[in-house]
Amino acid sequence: MESDQQVHTVVFFCQQLDPQQDLHSRDLEREWGSGIRLFPMHCSGRVEALHLLMAVEQGADRVLLLTCAEGRCRYREGNLRARRRLEYARSLLEEIGIEPGRLELRMASSQSPRHIARILEPILREPWSHGPSPLSMGTD
Amino acid sequence: MITGTRKPMEEIRAMIAPFGRVLVAGCGTCVAECASGGEKEVALLASQLRMDAKLRKISLEVGEITLDRQCVYEFIDQLTPFLENYDAVLSLACGAGVQAVAEVFPQWVILPGLDTGFLGETREAGLWLENCRGCGECRLHLFAGVCPITRCAKRLFNGPCGGSRAGQCEVSPEVQCAWHLILERLERQGRMDCLEEIYPPCDWSRHQGRGPRKIQREDQRA
Repeated sequence: MESDQQVHTVVFFCQQLDPQQDLHSRDLEREWGSGIRLFPMHCSGRVEALHLLMAVEQGADRVLLLTCAEGRCRYREGNLRARRRLEYARSLLEEIGIEPGRLELRMASSQSPRHIARILEPILREPWSHGPSPLSMGTD
Repeated sequence: MITGTRKPMEEIRAMIAPFGRVLVAGCGTCVAECASGGEKEVALLASQLRMDAKLRKISLEVGEITLDRQCVYEFIDQLTPFLENYDAVLSLACGAGVQAVAEVFPQWVILPGLDTGFLGETREAGLWLENCRGCGECRLHLFAGVCPITRCAKRLFNGPCGGSRAGQCEVSPEVQCAWHLILERLERQGRMDCLEEIYPPCDWSRHQGRGPRKIQREDQRA
């Protein structure tokens, strides 16, 4: 899956989505190589705007925050907090002229398989409109 | 708590433009509580500034530090070993902190990264409300712990204006009527007799008519 044109994606995800996320994450990393970095969290509500900003600063083209389905958060509203933090991080990117759409929240559905690779693969294969991060232009 | 909000990026950019090495300095007390100048906010702003400089192809070195307090010399002194490496300090403290740091290091440029706001309380996560104007003549004991100077739009000392609706101020439906709160609380406490007194207006000249205020206590001096 690795190529020069690969979108560098950082994924923060709630590990409650997949009891075997550790195993399935490794499969995903093997398949996508350096194009993907996965960061499991005890709850997506643990994410801070700083995590998202640092991912962009350190070279991610795309940052995904994958949360449990609405109403399915083990800690009741972690996924809702995650959304608010992502919106804030987007506003900080926008202030400096980086497309806020590089930060995306995806909410699993109640029908999603409890398998992180199966949830993420269709998302990763979707067409990506933003291209490489402006921070990586003229570097490398 | 003293509140503050981060200045717009445009303003920060303009302030730091002449400098190639900037130390973003947070304050771990009031402005950390109101999520505008603590360690997290320092890291966020530093990250933004580094990315912004990269995008605009500007050479900018950004350092980060957060002091426990920027208004007390013993804490400000912690900046000493770092300042040589920077051209300016972008302080995320309140105005008092910025000035205290500038006083201690008069040879360095200290820039304010926040617009200092009001004296307030954290009502709930993400919500801060002004509840003290620092008038210098506190009479909260007479008003059931609700300050009419701060929380009544008309600063009334002697009863409600009559313009409130369902406990909300006529100036803004988002604001609770201070006198509605005072009356409710006095009634609950069985202290409605407090309303019988006629309270004179605040004597602002006593405390705010003579330049910056000062508190000096001999028992606290070294």
